[in-house]
Amino acid sequence: MIKEIIFYTFSSVLICSSLAVILFRNPVYSAVSLILSFITSGFLWLLLQAEFLAIVLILVYVGAVMVLFLFVIMMLNINNEKDKTNFNSLAPFALFIGLIIAAELITLIWINSSQFNINSLSIQESDQVSNTLALGKELFTNYILSFEIAGFILLLAIIISISLTLRTRKNVKTQIASEQINVNPSTRIKLVDLKDNE
Amino acid sequence: MLTLQSYLSLAAIIFAIGIIGIVINRKNIIIVMMCTELLLISVNFNFIAFSYFNQDIAGQIFVFFILTVAAAEAAIGLAILVALYRNKNSIDVQELKTLRN
Repeated sequence: MIKEIIFYTFSSVLICSSLAVILFRNPVYSAVSLILSFITSGFLWLLLQAEFLAIVLILVYVGAVMVLFLFVIMMLNINNEKDKTNFNSLAPFALFIGLIIAAELITLIWINSSQFNINSLSIQESDQVSNTLALGKELFTNYILSFEIAGFILLLAIIISISLTLRTRKNVKTQIASEQINVNPSTRIKLVDLKDNE
Repeated sequence: MLTLQSYLSLAAIIFAIGIIGIVINRKNIIIVMMCTELLLISVNFNFIAFSYFNQDIAGQIFVFFILTVAAAEAAIGLAILVALYRNKNSIDVQELKTLRN
């Protein structure tokens, strides 16, 4: 019974905060609402015994990605006054599309409910092994190649974002390490023959 | 009693909210990227719900990789946004027609 209360409370909080993300005009408020919805999703994942992913969601998303979003929003100083114009003309169309998508998905889910008719009572609640241990064992045995590809994707993201935002300033006296290393002695030293004036 | 259908319906509602947000906020790229994060969260909800109700850890592995790729995507997207703002002094989607014609 307590799980149902937790599920319905947190899912209503999640739906309201997701609505707040798309309805606020100020991007800072949207980002803060998105933080709330990530934290609520983390709690709902805890309910599904995905403890490691819930902690990762809160740490990585709230701690890193959303801070990055807020940093960019505050750095860019966007005036959000002029984009109020097209809001009302697009709202019925958007609502139409969204309601159709939600209705289709929910209808399909409830029509096919006999195919995946697994209720939570048939699931043993007491896991002998912890979630993190099980996830780690699976990740480092069966999915090791995917894990390394994921690491490579992160490296790629670092390189791409640095190279996109790096701005080298002109007319500044700095050391260029590559040119310093590639110096050839023959271009630097000039031997001058000194004649003695006697 | 909590069934798989309740989690899937919650994920469907979040997905629809993300789609609506992309359409009505299409001029502001930052909010569009936040709506993309909402879509990814709803897909992750589906994976974790199936993983719990089938007692199979593979769904959580997929969520792990989705989180990784989404973090990389957000970083690259924001970097593109910063580079765009430097060149154009705005992030309005309507002004991004340099490649037209």
